[in-house]
Amino acid sequence: MPETRVHFADELRRLEEQTLGALDMVGEACARTLEAVLHQDVELASYVVNDDDRIDGRYLEVHQGILSLMARQAPVATDLRLIAALLDVIRSVERMGDQCVNICKLVPLAGREPPVEREILARVERMGRQAISQVAQCKHAFARRDVALAEDLVRQDDELDQLNREIFRLALELGDGHHAREWGMHMMLVARQLERIGDGAVDVGEQTAFVVTGLFREFTDASHPEIEARRVG
Amino acid sequence: MGRDDGKDGTMRQVTEPEKERAQAPPPDAVASGGRPRMLAPELGHAAVSGARHATADAGAGEREPLFEIEHLTVRYGGRPAVNDASLDVAERQITALIGASGCGKSTFIRALNRMNDLIPTATVEGTVRYHGQDLYAPEVDPVLVRKRIGMVFQKPNPFPKSIYDNVAFGPRVLGMEGELDGIVERALRRGALWDEVKDRLKHNAFGMSGGQQQRLCIARALATDPDVLLMDEPASALDPISTARIEDLMFELKERVSIVIVTHNMQQAARVSDMTAFFTVNVDETGHRYGEVVEYDETEKVFTNPSDPRTEAYVTGRVG
Repeated sequence: MPETRVHFADELRRLEEQTLGALDMVGEACARTLEAVLHQDVELASYVVNDDDRIDGRYLEVHQGILSLMARQAPVATDLRLIAALLDVIRSVERMGDQCVNICKLVPLAGREPPVEREILARVERMGRQAISQVAQCKHAFARRDVALAEDLVRQDDELDQLNREIFRLALELGDGHHAREWGMHMMLVARQLERIGDGAVDVGEQTAFVVTGLFREFTDASHPEIEARRVG
Repeated sequence: MGRDDGKDGTMRQVTEPEKERAQAPPPDAVASGGRPRMLAPELGHAAVSGARHATADAGAGEREPLFEIEHLTVRYGGRPAVNDASLDVAERQITALIGASGCGKSTFIRALNRMNDLIPTATVEGTVRYHGQDLYAPEVDPVLVRKRIGMVFQKPNPFPKSIYDNVAFGPRVLGMEGELDGIVERALRRGALWDEVKDRLKHNAFGMSGGQQQRLCIARALATDPDVLLMDEPASALDPISTARIEDLMFELKERVSIVIVTHNMQQAARVSDMTAFFTVNVDETGHRYGEVVEYDETEKVFTNPSDPRTEAYVTGRVG
């Protein structure tokens, strides 16, 4: 029997491409953001801030497309789960874009030649690379409906969390100099945003598992870490 | 698309140049031999090429109007079935007419190819322009109108003939030139039926499934190469798979054919159409029920954010 509702399938495919394409946009924004932080590049930071309009525009486009498809095509079963997941993913993407913006807004505050502490900056760089890698991985996991790849994001995200804690500890030890402490606090904020980007990638991974299995569960439960420890341990 | 320039959201303002064009007889409209005839479609296209300029200010990118319907009132035995309906139908789009029973949507669609002429007590007021030409002008031949503007009905109604003869019927009546086998094959292909019936063209059409019969009726309507298909509840007697095939077929057809569809199935209107008109039933002081157009907009708008509370109530299923 020939395939029917071809038009609907095309529209749904196009919405998924737009959504996952937005993850590429966020990946680029992350790379530029990291570059701006590492080299104190105020102009590049300003570019990222302005360019976030593109990601916001994509969010609105996908949001409207999903509303329209839900109203017009009454999707059910896997189609319905996919649409619900796309709505969640595009919101995560939009927030990740905002987190890049938050980081980039800190860049000009540090001044031309900030009192850089190498140990901290090296960890920020590792966090940035890790976040970029997680964004790419969550996209591939979703596109391939690969639950194992999606679940692997948790392992990677643990590294991000670890680096975030280390930056916090190192920033505390920066001493009494006003400028050094100010720079250290900015780096803590940067690390916090990068850590949130990683969380966003994990959220996309959770949506991948939801589309495939039909059951939603958080990969990690921040409000009940003891349950999580039992599960892992 | 910026179609709603009118305050009531149902009609586009008619510009002065358009009014002039409507009043002036199209250059080829007067039959030289005195025989009534429908104007050639090429001329119809030429006649609206000026309208593109006239409406350019109203909304860039707007499609050419196929039908311009103004203040259309159709009465049966003096009582209106549909009252004062005004809307433009664009070319190569699917336009859906929705509304509860008795809201006049079938009467409205039948006015677009003069099917109401066949009802002795029916009278038509207002204007229906097709490619800029008054469809109800005295020189227009309704038979040729129906050749250009085909119709498919709710219940598949094949003739008690072979599949081949069903499709060949219209071309034969109209004395269409060209090789009949080719015309039949083309129509069946466009009706997404050829592969299923090519080996049994001489079989009686009554041996087909309901969905196939309806696609045969669509192929039969396509055989005279119309540029509009009017569909009155074309899938309401079909199962979901046959319905989906008819809907997919509509998407393919709209590349070349404009479609106006009446449907009770709101979800079908939502799925297939580009524009949706919502009709409602009013009751006059004598208790007579008649229909009117409440809202006409892009389908996405009608089903995500309708302008009129009556439309909202209908599409959400809160009132019948």
